Amino acid sequence: MEERQYDLIFICRPDTPEADVDKIIATIEHAAAEKGDKIEKTEKWGRKRMAYPVHRLREGFYVFMDLRSSHGEVVKELERRLKVSDVVIKYLTVRVDEELKRQAKLKRHRERRAARRPRKTAPAAPSPAGGEQAAATLS
Amino acid sequence: MAEQSAPQQHGGPGPGSSGPRPQGGGGRPGGPAKRGKRSFVRKKKVCRFCVDKADFIDYKKAEILGAFIQERGKILPRRMTGTCARHQRWLTVAIKRAQNIALLPFAAEL
Repeated sequence: MEERQYDLIFICRPDTPEADVDKIIATIEHAAAEKGDKIEKTEKWGRKRMAYPVHRLREGFYVFMDLRSSHGEVVKELERRLKVSDVVIKYLTVRVDEELKRQAKLKRHRERRAARRPRKTAPAAPSPAGGEQAAATLS
Repeated sequence: MAEQSAPQQHGGPGPGSSGPRPQGGGGRPGGPAKRGKRSFVRKKKVCRFCVDKADFIDYKKAEILGAFIQERGKILPRRMTGTCARHQRWLTVAIKRAQNIALLPFAAEL
């Protein structure tokens, strides 16, 4: 199965010490590695005000992770871990690879169109770089 | 037969009204605002995402998405914001994701 990309966001209690947040991040990374998947990057967004109270808390410590996985069970496992953790008040996993693929496709289309426009007679520009060069020589 | 009769019906009143029509047509009140008294020039709304050439609407950017919800938290319709159909579709998904992770409210709290 091809690799999938997930966004994994979780919110910790605002009064959690930074060390505990790091511990959770480490656990998640470890659990993912155990399944043979990896966390591409981790971003700590820090304390943010939430749009609505969760467990009567107004703020939360947001952590964002980029997960690459080739099988779906790892998401289940990570979510289970987040659920049992006391400091994590909310989490969300979103599969994003399909959207990113669509984005790349649209971008490619746009570049190809932009490359083709300067010279109208050419059937199709081989690469966007070639089109830009043509535009440069014209101007 | 039906095709033949239809042009005849149209053609029938045509020549009779061709005389007064140029004057009558110009003064028609409900027509497009050329020189009428009630000319509301409505500014054409354009899709913000099309202008930015957005291929993807990120649910993590709550400050952008926040412009497309009402005070109460409802998603604004296309006719209000001018978003094109495709981007509205993406936008809706993005807003709903943002709501789930408390970046945007489901409803205003009172």
